[in-house]
Amino acid sequence: METTFSLNKFLKAMYKRKSLILLITLAFIVFSAVASYTVMKPVYQATTQILINQNTTASQDFNSLDIDTNLQLIGTYNVIIKSPAILASVIEELELNETAQSLTERITVNNIESSQVITLSVEDSSMKQAVLVANTTATVFQKRIKQMMKVDNVSILAAAETTASPKPIRPDPVFNMAIGAIIGLAFGIGVTLILEQLNTTVRSEEDIEEMAGLQVLGVVSPVNNDLKMDKPLNLTERLEKDIYANKEQDKKGNAAKIGGSY
Amino acid sequence: MPRKLVVRTNPQSIAAEQYRTIRTNINFSIPELDSKVLLFTSPAKEEGKSTTAANMAIVFAETGKKVLLVDADMRRPTLFRTFQLGNSTGLSNLLLRKGNLKHSVKASGIANLDLLMSGQIPPNPAELLESDALDELLEEMRGLYDYVLFDSPPILSVTDSKILANRCDGTVLVINTGKSEKISVEKARDSLATSKAFIVGVVLNNYPMTNENYYYHNYNEEMN
Repeated sequence: METTFSLNKFLKAMYKRKSLILLITLAFIVFSAVASYTVMKPVYQATTQILINQNTTASQDFNSLDIDTNLQLIGTYNVIIKSPAILASVIEELELNETAQSLTERITVNNIESSQVITLSVEDSSMKQAVLVANTTATVFQKRIKQMMKVDNVSILAAAETTASPKPIRPDPVFNMAIGAIIGLAFGIGVTLILEQLNTTVRSEEDIEEMAGLQVLGVVSPVNNDLKMDKPLNLTERLEKDIYANKEQDKKGNAAKIGGSY
Repeated sequence: MPRKLVVRTNPQSIAAEQYRTIRTNINFSIPELDSKVLLFTSPAKEEGKSTTAANMAIVFAETGKKVLLVDADMRRPTLFRTFQLGNSTGLSNLLLRKGNLKHSVKASGIANLDLLMSGQIPPNPAELLESDALDELLEEMRGLYDYVLFDSPPILSVTDSKILANRCDGTVLVINTGKSEKISVEKARDSLATSKAFIVGVVLNNYPMTNENYYYHNYNEEMN
């Protein structure tokens, strides 16, 4: 039994079943497209930018120490924004029907390249709601930080806004279809390999030559339907078509034989 | 289903050319014998034994040699249908020592090709074949013909072919491409080995067309 892996055989098998592989791949693409457009609910994201600045009255000139202090503060603020203390107030203010825990999961806080700006992103199935939650969280945070840290160094740089035609961040149909195509292709190749392994029939001259002691004398291709005779020719017809019968002596000989056999 | 005598109906076809290639390869495989007795069998039924044997008989006859095609399948005879002849007398009768070879063979309508039908279906084909009558018959056939081709039952189903293979000069295994299991081909090979048969080789029947096959076809068309 052949156990070694042959790239040539593999490619031949793939080529033979290219339509199957293509079909499976297309099926996966269509499936992911349908899922993306109909089943999956779109998720929108609204982002508010918040500037953290040590707005002390004492000195107007910045030094690097101030900036360092601010950066350290930002780390703290990132945590504070997502804390239940802030989010509970947001929920209360907007009369949201959820817990601080579930809201935390929808909020992302990022510090843009160690600047003093942090972005507050909120995901929601409604763009309007996402904008509302993002901006409310920012203002609640601004207010509460004053009480907590006894400083007034938070200002809202850019409030989230609702655009005319908001684009959902999820699902991304093109991305999903690309993933579907890759999975479909892998699946199709897998199915082909399994089918190849399951097929234990003799399919090529190589199959015979792999068996010790057997050589291939030749192959016979299927006879085309248009060439195939519908019924066996009768004896007289066969004689007429017989190229040997055209020779005089053969004709006589054959005629005699026919007489004998009937 | 009528057997396709393609070498007859379409002598220039690809299949006809392929049969001629097989003829050449068989002749090269057993060159030393003046009279060649060949057995055509296959592991399982309906792999194309009878069609191959009939077409091979015709291409051998084309070379001007005297050819006898024998239907040794006394269980499911087909030769009489292929050539649309009666099956009243044939191999079974000769093995029972009823009648003689010269009077039992029938003309095929093709020059140099004679046919021997299976005869009436006997209850004990294997026992008939094991009798001394087969050896005597084979001797007589060798004296009269250059090629004797036996079309026989599948080797894995009944023992007839093993008995015949032992007495023939060579056995040709007919394999249906894409249908015959590799394992049954190996079983057939081992089965023939135990009966001390000489396997000339394998004919791959129903072989899908490739570009290589088309070469012959185009070559012929250019020649005409």
